[in-house]
Amino acid sequence: MVSRTVAKDIITLRGSAAIVSEFFGYAANSILYNRGVYPEESFVKVKKYGLPMLLTQDDGVKSFISNLNAQLSEWLEAGKLQRVVLVIMSKATGEVLERWNFSIETDNEVVEKGVSREKSDKEIMREIQAIMRQIASSITYLPCLDEPCVFDVLAYTDKDVAVPFTWIESDAKLIANPQMVKLHSFDTKIHKVDTLVSYKNDDEWEEQ
Amino acid sequence: MNLRKKAESSAVSAGEKATLLEGKFGQLSESSEREKKRLHNELAQLKSESKLSISRISADLERMECRAKIAEEESDLLKEQLEDLKKQLNECLLQKREAEKKLSSFTLQDVTSAGNNILVKHLQEELRNYESEVQEARKLKSSHENIELLKEKLLEEKGHRERAESQLSKSHELQLSLNNLENELSSWKLMMKDIPGVSCPQDIPVKFAALQKEVIDSTMKVGKANACLKQMEVSLDAAQLGKQNAEAEAALGKEKAEVSKSEIKRIELMLSMVTDERDKLRSVINKLKWPKNEEMGDEAAQKTVVQELELSFVKKESVIKELENNLCQQKELNNRQHNEIKLLNERLNNEARRIKSLEREGDQLRSEISLLESKLGQGEFSCANTKVLRMVNTLGVDNEAKRTIEALQTELQKTKERLQAVEELKSQPGDTGKLVDSYISEKILKLKEQIATLEKREERYKTVFADRISVFRRACCELFGYKIVMDEHQRPNGIPVTHFKLQSIYAQSDDEKLEFEYESGNTNILANDYTSQPEISRQIEIFIRKMNSIPAFTANLTVESFNKRTLS
Repeated sequence: MVSRTVAKDIITLRGSAAIVSEFFGYAANSILYNRGVYPEESFVKVKKYGLPMLLTQDDGVKSFISNLNAQLSEWLEAGKLQRVVLVIMSKATGEVLERWNFSIETDNEVVEKGVSREKSDKEIMREIQAIMRQIASSITYLPCLDEPCVFDVLAYTDKDVAVPFTWIESDAKLIANPQMVKLHSFDTKIHKVDTLVSYKNDDEWEEQ
Repeated sequence: MNLRKKAESSAVSAGEKATLLEGKFGQLSESSEREKKRLHNELAQLKSESKLSISRISADLERMECRAKIAEEESDLLKEQLEDLKKQLNECLLQKREAEKKLSSFTLQDVTSAGNNILVKHLQEELRNYESEVQEARKLKSSHENIELLKEKLLEEKGHRERAESQLSKSHELQLSLNNLENELSSWKLMMKDIPGVSCPQDIPVKFAALQKEVIDSTMKVGKANACLKQMEVSLDAAQLGKQNAEAEAALGKEKAEVSKSEIKRIELMLSMVTDERDKLRSVINKLKWPKNEEMGDEAAQKTVVQELELSFVKKESVIKELENNLCQQKELNNRQHNEIKLLNERLNNEARRIKSLEREGDQLRSEISLLESKLGQGEFSCANTKVLRMVNTLGVDNEAKRTIEALQTELQKTKERLQAVEELKSQPGDTGKLVDSYISEKILKLKEQIATLEKREERYKTVFADRISVFRRACCELFGYKIVMDEHQRPNGIPVTHFKLQSIYAQSDDEKLEFEYESGNTNILANDYTSQPEISRQIEIFIRKMNSIPAFTANLTVESFNKRTLS
């Protein structure tokens, strides 16, 4: 039996930050499409991670996500980002219905000393692919969002981070007694991203 | 064991404290959210109130501006009228002089014609008219002065208004900040009631510091408990290894005991066999001894046999003794091994109990870990290390901007349509547009004429005033002996000050000048090179400082200068 040695690629801090922020952009678009926050016709198919991914064509949402990604990339390079949460809320009442939580563990040695790590790009892509498939299949167990919804993005950062001009401090927008489903994670050897979705309890939903 | 108990208790207490703090944190966050909502509502109310006040102030401003414009226009008109009247006054005065001259010439000649009387009457009537016009001109002049005073008052009031507006805005801001501070104070007071052990605001930072210390201590204790747990796990592993070793040793000991038991049994069997043989041999010996008399011939042979048997018997006894010694040793060994086995069993039981307790602790810790993971998954966080940020959602802001832009565009279109309608009206063939234009042009002409007349009047009044003041100055100089030059300026604090320079007509040089300053009813002499001369300074000391009389000083100086002049 012939064993293949997987070719490893050098991953720098900047490269890892770019991978993670790009992943978040595509994941956010996928969630907005799959959860019906924006109409289907406002999305366009592109190829990414070896899968057909959907990207919004709404200028406002596009610019929002691109500005967000730029800031997330900056925080990831500084090692100050702990979590990113995409929150889906009811437009009418403002009640939080779903929280897509992306926890980030950073290798501080890389941030402090500027060293790089080695991991195959294909391996990383495979891990991200698995998460994207899980996001797409989440509609099978997540409750239907029958009312018009809006989304927002929260960033959990270190306490000493300077708040940029276009950002403000916020509450965590928690769900009381949520149901939680843990998805796969991916690791660039510098940043490890765990995905978890928490949503409003079915029983409470039915009572309402 | 003690360490474990301590770690357990500390972990429990830390957990309880953490739950308490979490509860407090939840309460604080709720209260802060309530306050935020209240502040937002108040902000909205204050904004609406400020908008209303701003609209009122702007309406007042507009009214004041209109009044000011009207007042300015009126003043301009009056100025023109004043100038016209001044001109008329001058003309009247000239005519009056001519008439007086004529009258005087007529009175000298003693002409008693009726025409002259009529002329005189006409001239008198004209005089009266001119006098009435002069009075009107004087009234206009006073009204002009009043207008100027009013203008100054208007400027002052504008300044007051601006200051009042700025202070209004400052007062609004102060009120807002006051309200905010009051709300914060009330919220902090409410919080103080909720926090146990706090009776006054000074206790809060102490209490917070104490709580923080407790949290830090509890986290340290939790860390220590974790370390103890790990140590216990390590010791558990070591104990398990020891247990395994002990079990192996116990098994070996059991085997050894069984082996020794079997040996003992064998030795006992051998012993019993040997004793049986001995007994048999003894019986044989006895049997052999008794039939001695009967068989005298075989005594020697039998003796040798008996000796041999006795020797073998002794040997057997020694063997038996050795075996008995071995047996005792084996028994002692067995006892020792039994005791070791008992000890090992006890140790085994203790280790088993320890393992169970550690397993229970492990389950508890796993459940706590799962709870913490679920909390993390829900999104909770530690405020000491983390803060939550949100990007200002420009989507809503852009939508609002778009709506305002659309509203402004519709207004623009409406105004354009109105403008087009007005232009169409003007361009219509008919009199409406022409009438409007002619009315406006007539009004403009009238106003221009009024402006011209008022300007002429002002110039006439100026010339009359200049003549009068020059006559007054000359008279003052000739009567009091000083040429007076007056100069007005303002101090930095806005108070007007009049500066007088006096030069005596008997002064021997141009440097001999006195300088006085007049401010708010007080006259003070200013120091210069001339007044610093010893004679002058002495006179100043006597007349001004001691007797407080400037006229006495100036009169004395005049007399002395006159004397000097006449003597020289």
